[in-house]
Amino acid sequence: MSTPAPTAQALARSIASGERSAREVLQATLLHIEASNPAVNAFTGMTLARAQREADAVDALRRSGALLPALAGVPYAVKNLFDVQGEVTQAGSRVNQQNPPAAADAFLVTQMQRAGAILVGSLNMDEYAYGFTTENTHYGATRNPHDLGRTAGGSSGGSGAAVAAGQVPIALASDTNGSIRVPASFCGVWGLKPTFGRLSRRGSYPFVHSLDHLGPLADSVEGLALAYDALQSPDALDPGCHALRVQPVGACLGLGHQGLRIGRLGGYFDAFATPAAAEVARSAAAALGARDEVQWPHAAQARAAAFITSASEGGRLHLADLKTRLDEFEPLSVDRFVAGALQPAAWYVRAQQFRRVYRDSVNALFAHWDVLIAPATPLSAPLLGTEWLDINGQRLPCRPSIGLLTQPISYAGCPVVTAPLWPGGNGGLPLGVQLIAAPWREDLALRAAQALQDAGVAHLQAVKL
Amino acid sequence: MHSTDVLAYVQSAAKLLDLPLEAARAASVASQLERTWLLAQQLEAFPLPPEQEMSELFCPAAFPADFPAPQGDGQGAP
Repeated sequence: MSTPAPTAQALARSIASGERSAREVLQATLLHIEASNPAVNAFTGMTLARAQREADAVDALRRSGALLPALAGVPYAVKNLFDVQGEVTQAGSRVNQQNPPAAADAFLVTQMQRAGAILVGSLNMDEYAYGFTTENTHYGATRNPHDLGRTAGGSSGGSGAAVAAGQVPIALASDTNGSIRVPASFCGVWGLKPTFGRLSRRGSYPFVHSLDHLGPLADSVEGLALAYDALQSPDALDPGCHALRVQPVGACLGLGHQGLRIGRLGGYFDAFATPAAAEVARSAAAALGARDEVQWPHAAQARAAAFITSASEGGRLHLADLKTRLDEFEPLSVDRFVAGALQPAAWYVRAQQFRRVYRDSVNALFAHWDVLIAPATPLSAPLLGTEWLDINGQRLPCRPSIGLLTQPISYAGCPVVTAPLWPGGNGGLPLGVQLIAAPWREDLALRAAQALQDAGVAHLQAVKL
Repeated sequence: MHSTDVLAYVQSAAKLLDLPLEAARAASVASQLERTWLLAQQLEAFPLPPEQEMSELFCPAAFPADFPAPQGDGQGAP
């Protein structure tokens, strides 16, 4: 079988016009998931009864003659750290299996339901989101649809793989240090990590409170924007949600990139880019007319601070279970959780002091630029089980180093669209580019993304499974 | 920083937090912490004045009134 399936936008239009019913789309989706999931292992659970109810509700609404919401009948799935009413929120863990089912949907699941989208299931991830490879010992590794021997990235590997395999056109995920951008890069799909504080995190299982973001992955820029606009809403009950109102981006996509000040990040971002990563960043820069190389401030220190902040908050979050149920944790990450719990407070405080200075430096940079380009990952997807990477002659541990190019950006809270590019001579594997904007300017990153898509530079590629 | 110092720290801190660690686990955790120590040194070297406060509940920037038009002419930074 091969993809691509119809895009999110095409599905929504065909259902709105009556060409296809939501039930028909759902049945085709479920058949494709059933056939393809044994190969990729993206899904950890299905919500069949709910999906049928939601699809029937969309079809009934259309028959009534009412105007359908933007995502009416479009199937989607969620990383299994989102609460889904009646389901246990696993967060990739074995420990959480004994928790009671969620009493209510996560805020963003409710937003998707209001937009008419159809929830079909939950997706695999690294345990408690602490990883970049979705090599999950409890639920099995998620495999990259473009090469089943390779990682799909993480921690939202199920979300990236599900979209790349054409199982769903949209998936929701989280990004603390790169967990949307890494799977988008490795699986060759579009991803949006919004501004920190843009979308409510209520009803999602946390990893690092001061760094966690939620956002969508999708099969097209239009699908990404449709999902993002549906997800937006202030939420007074989430103290980390700083957005005061909705700022839709759908109408901005067609504005093009003319007039935008676009540069390409050099320095640190060149040093940790393999030739394939450097190639995609230069290709995107050329397509967007970006001639200047820009230096991102304090990137190495920001990556260090993100690492320390994550370890400390993540370790503290799970300390009670680490004391009593250590053997039930993921073997690939449990030592990092323990090390984080034991970290000296002085390191964490230093990181948080640095963050204020860093934020000011990054925001000052965006006085001169609208969009900045960098590779999303140092390389394309490694083989599953890879322990060490060679990046331009530097031997680095694989699992933590995959986030070298994403961590400095999220530590500043900037919005990032990850665009799927396909470097030559890379075995047909994708490698994503980050389109980075100032806080609250998702619209500018999406305009650049649309320009790359329109130019044919960034796109999905069909897979055979 | 010597590896035995890190291991001793891990064993002491784990005891303080009532977190039981077998010897092999403690050694592995110490190895992780040694890597983090290298990262922490980068931040120690970053100049911060004593009055520098910690980040509050992090907000990357004030929420804007609206989308202002980009300021540039498409020619990059001056």
